[in-house]
Amino acid sequence: MSSAARRKPRTPPDLAISAVEPLPPPPSEMRTALRRLDGILHVLTCGSVDDGKSTLIGRLLWDASDLYDDQRAAIERSAAKTGGRPDYSLLVDGLVAEREQGITIDIAWRYFDSDKRRIVIIDSPGHEQYTRNMASGASHADVAIMLVDARSGVKRQTRRHAAILDLMGVKRVVLAVNKMDLVGWSQSAFQAIAADFAALTAGYGFTGAVAIPLSAVGGDNIAARSASTGWYDGPTLLEHLESLPPRTSVVSGPFRMPVQTVLRDGQDFRGLAGTVASGRVCVGDRVVDVLSGQSSRVLRIATMDRDLEIATTGQAVALQLEHDLDIARGAVLSGSVAPVAATHVEARLVWLSQTPFDAKGGYLLRTPTDLVPVSAIEISALLDLETMAVSPAAGCGLNDIAIANLTLGRPAALDRFGDIAATGNVLLVDALTGASMAGGVVTVATAAAVAGRSTAATPASTSSAKAGPAVVISRAALAAGLCADLGTTADDQAEFDRRAREVAALLAAAGITAVLG
Amino acid sequence: MTIPLSHLDVLEAEAIHIFREAAAQFRKPVLMYSIGKDSTVLLHLARKAFFPARLPFPLLHVDTTWKFRDMIAFRDRTAAAMGLDLIVHTNADGVARNINPFDFGPSVYTDVMKTAALKQALDAHGFDAMFGGARRDEEASRAKERVFSFRASGHRWDPRRQRPEMWRLFNGQLGAGETVRVFPLSNWTERDVWRYIQREKLDIVPLYFAAERPVVERNGQLIVVDDERLPLLPGERPTLRSVRFRTLGCYPLTAAVPSMARDLDAVVAETLLARTSERQGRLIDHDQAGAMEKKKQEGYF
Repeated sequence: MSSAARRKPRTPPDLAISAVEPLPPPPSEMRTALRRLDGILHVLTCGSVDDGKSTLIGRLLWDASDLYDDQRAAIERSAAKTGGRPDYSLLVDGLVAEREQGITIDIAWRYFDSDKRRIVIIDSPGHEQYTRNMASGASHADVAIMLVDARSGVKRQTRRHAAILDLMGVKRVVLAVNKMDLVGWSQSAFQAIAADFAALTAGYGFTGAVAIPLSAVGGDNIAARSASTGWYDGPTLLEHLESLPPRTSVVSGPFRMPVQTVLRDGQDFRGLAGTVASGRVCVGDRVVDVLSGQSSRVLRIATMDRDLEIATTGQAVALQLEHDLDIARGAVLSGSVAPVAATHVEARLVWLSQTPFDAKGGYLLRTPTDLVPVSAIEISALLDLETMAVSPAAGCGLNDIAIANLTLGRPAALDRFGDIAATGNVLLVDALTGASMAGGVVTVATAAAVAGRSTAATPASTSSAKAGPAVVISRAALAAGLCADLGTTADDQAEFDRRAREVAALLAAAGITAVLG
Repeated sequence: MTIPLSHLDVLEAEAIHIFREAAAQFRKPVLMYSIGKDSTVLLHLARKAFFPARLPFPLLHVDTTWKFRDMIAFRDRTAAAMGLDLIVHTNADGVARNINPFDFGPSVYTDVMKTAALKQALDAHGFDAMFGGARRDEEASRAKERVFSFRASGHRWDPRRQRPEMWRLFNGQLGAGETVRVFPLSNWTERDVWRYIQREKLDIVPLYFAAERPVVERNGQLIVVDDERLPLLPGERPTLRSVRFRTLGCYPLTAAVPSMARDLDAVVAETLLARTSERQGRLIDHDQAGAMEKKKQEGYF
């Protein structure tokens, strides 16, 4: 069978292409390639190696995407070599070291176009580092495919996956019940698994949870309806993915635009540049900067192509205001429903680093466009992903989900993640090494008891501005002074590092970047 | 009533967002400009990100001295027309040692004239961040690349030391000796690049369009004889054929494809129907297994 014939039939085209000159009448495939795609759907795949995840993704790409001939030939060669079925998982192979170990260790991104839209497959691994990697992948996902083996059904691991997806704000989940051929395409086996899945997902905040019986190796119910599941009248996996709304088509919610930078053109233009993170803004709208308490009206929404009347979620623009407010990077523009100028934050953190939490370590908090020194942080509890039980704790390490309380060195504009996800997520950063220690979702954001307008305005406009030259703190200088009392034992070296971090955090609070040299 | 953003609108906005994040966070960024179609798109997006202000960083072109003449002419024309701050760097030591793609083989040549040259330029200017046009769809080892890709001292890439990236939180805090490569086109595909060039009506190097060019065939690859430096093998005689390039690099190492596509629409039509991936035309990638990953670890893109 030729590769062209293998691709599934396309529906008649809708040639809504912007700024494209008329072409000679294209063959049907090219009309598909030139279509205006209705956005991008990010699909996270989670499951273990044994569940056949790489094969599922490979099969989806094989059936539904315009693979190149050399890619198809490589897969066909694999089948010839083993004398068996093609190894679709080769389409998602990874780094050399991983291939040698036979595992994937990170997130991999794959792209293909269905008839309607771009689909991005985010592949996160199903083994040791999976909480970290899955959480990281889930933060980008519109929908998650949870893969289980029809022979074993919903497992403890499935429960953990659901918990992580819910924590990271994924609203739509699909249970792909794979290897149905190995249970004789049994309807009752599928129904039992689907019932377990429904019971499991009912406890979370999902708005859509669908189970699909399939076989990745055979291509059953992936892009084409299976002849073996006459009893199943739901969608194929691809049909389902095409029916879900891409995130940028949802523009409900209050307006939020974190300011990334200020653009100036000579003397008259001063534009607050950023991407609309939530809702929309129109020319004439009053916008508020909660950190400084200032507000003004939108005079102009500028882009290089043309000025816009309205900017919606996902658009990158520059807003010129009627009155030139003295605000900079880190501010979050909103309507009258404003974020909190928070100095105290409770967050659920996914610990990403090999280095465990250190209550005395120096940390910075990255919000969408701000970087704020953390003046105090404590872990109050750990969350068990299988039972959802919360147990008191004072520390955490790699792959833990911790409940943390942070006091910020100055206010940061934040929302509760459950209210507005785009301005309710944070990253905990090591003040000295710059490493990303934990990613988190804000569960409570509290403003300072005394309204901190005067304290907020000045540091916000200096320390969040473009970083100046870094100060190098030399190890020798620390050893000669601040750490002169420390020896060479492991404990003393740990204390040495702690003090160095503390110095870096204090400098960061004053807007100075420090590195250990 | 608003029309949902198309996937190209979304990709454009994301790239602009990444440019602004990096420019705001890094002390001294530079845009790696390699003259090809991806660089053309990258430059266009950078201009959109900072419009109406000027680009807040210079462009860097690493000139191996083996680029097509048309590429150099296009580079200089573009820089002049847009008033760009362009830095051109060549590894003078490599030139002095006459490191060329014929006597040394693609690996040594690339290492000296591209990788080492790039490191020299970054170190000499003290750039802490470099924008590049790499895409995750280009090659298996890039599928896992970060948008902010960290390099340890000596520009080494260690896949195990990359930072997880969550939501739109781009962490640009650098540790001692670290630099970063920033990839605003991470989520674009080859077809997106062409569709975007067409949509935005971007000017690209004429080598992308089919024309009669002097060609020799070697190991099944069509090599265009761009100047007299290409040593002809015994019995080899250049013949005029209508060819174009899907990807541009150093002329002795970049194969052409037979084509009659003489304008952008025809090229886009041909590309969208292409049946082989674009790196087939780049000879260095076939040099050894895991070639691209090795090059990355050594500091090549």
